[in-house]
Amino acid sequence: MGKRKKHLNATILTIIMLGIGFQIAFSRSVILNVVVTFICLLYLLYCQVLLRKVLIMLLLAFPLAFGSWWSFIMFGTGDTWHSAWIYGSRVYAYLLLGSMLTLTVPVKEILISLSIHIKLSETFVYGLLASFNLLPRIRQQFKLIQYSAQMRGKSYRPWQPALYLRIIIVALHWSEDLAEAMSSQGFSEGFPRTRTFNDPLPRWQWGFAIIVIMLYFSAAFLVSPW
Amino acid sequence: MQNMSQKPKRGWSLRDVIFLAIIGIFFGVIYQVWSYAYYLIAATPLKPYANDLTLGVWIMAGPLAGVLLQKAGATIIGELLAAAVEMLLFSSWGAANLISGFIQGLGNELGFACTGYKNWSKLGLLFSTIGATILTFVWDWFQSGYSEYHFGLLLTLLIIRFISIGFFAGVLVYWIKKLVLKTGINK
Repeated sequence: MGKRKKHLNATILTIIMLGIGFQIAFSRSVILNVVVTFICLLYLLYCQVLLRKVLIMLLLAFPLAFGSWWSFIMFGTGDTWHSAWIYGSRVYAYLLLGSMLTLTVPVKEILISLSIHIKLSETFVYGLLASFNLLPRIRQQFKLIQYSAQMRGKSYRPWQPALYLRIIIVALHWSEDLAEAMSSQGFSEGFPRTRTFNDPLPRWQWGFAIIVIMLYFSAAFLVSPW
Repeated sequence: MQNMSQKPKRGWSLRDVIFLAIIGIFFGVIYQVWSYAYYLIAATPLKPYANDLTLGVWIMAGPLAGVLLQKAGATIIGELLAAAVEMLLFSSWGAANLISGFIQGLGNELGFACTGYKNWSKLGLLFSTIGATILTFVWDWFQSGYSEYHFGLLLTLLIIRFISIGFFAGVLVYWIKKLVLKTGINK
């Protein structure tokens, strides 16, 4: 944790992300979208996220931003150019805002930080963490489900209920096993537990989050630049 | 399902959370397969069509959780969990995942609430798909700029959206539930 001491806390990032993300949906400003995008980009660079990772993310989102932009040129009413640029740049504003949290803090730290600072239920935190470890096995299982269908000359498509039945059966078994395993290892729901994880949240960061969100509000809805 | 166990109907047990998270991860894997198709259409001006056509698949997790666990809040929490999984494991969209997950879950949840959480079958699912269609459309009115499209396109989109949600989050979820009951895994 030490080397990330100068970074924003995961809880603060989550609050900023949701607080500004919600407002972006109602703001109609290209300039602000660009400003948000750039500030987040600078933060990513400050946190030394791999440049290649950021570039790939920006490139992958380009077709989506372009599709949005183009659809307003084609189907828009009123000032179509303005709309096109608003909704095209909005894709990037959302992407960068989200990546500010997801690319700079590991999943485990995000969840534990939320449980410490905003009292997100630990049943949810540890339940999610435990299931995330299953990701490789779930991918494997998904392939197995499809192979076993192919053995019987069938193949499952996402609109066939049988596929989901198989998924539900697996989820039922695994969730029971995992929950039992966790309680036998001493996880008891709703009881205090010893923390080995230190997640400092200096008080100024709360103030920072509030100021940033208020600043965005006044810029977007009182000033509302182009 | 879980509601048959001795756990109180309202509380959330570790097992419920893991159960829904695992289903959420499976959905993430399915979305990855589907996203290529979405991606191809979304890179063109037909993007709003791509959104509305595929929306049903994205919001299935909520009503599925509701129908399986049959308790108040299951739908919205199921959808939020799926959105959190999507955000933490599969994409970097963050806020967009969580907020739209919340809106979608809320729409579905309101539908079940209209029946007083008594009907988890055809009627509940019908209300839930209507609720989700309306709420997600209102959200896209602002978030995706639907307010700027001309009326003809909007009407088409609304119809496509209802068909997509109606099929995936309604009919398909109903079929799945029937299949689950038939196999007797809910004891």
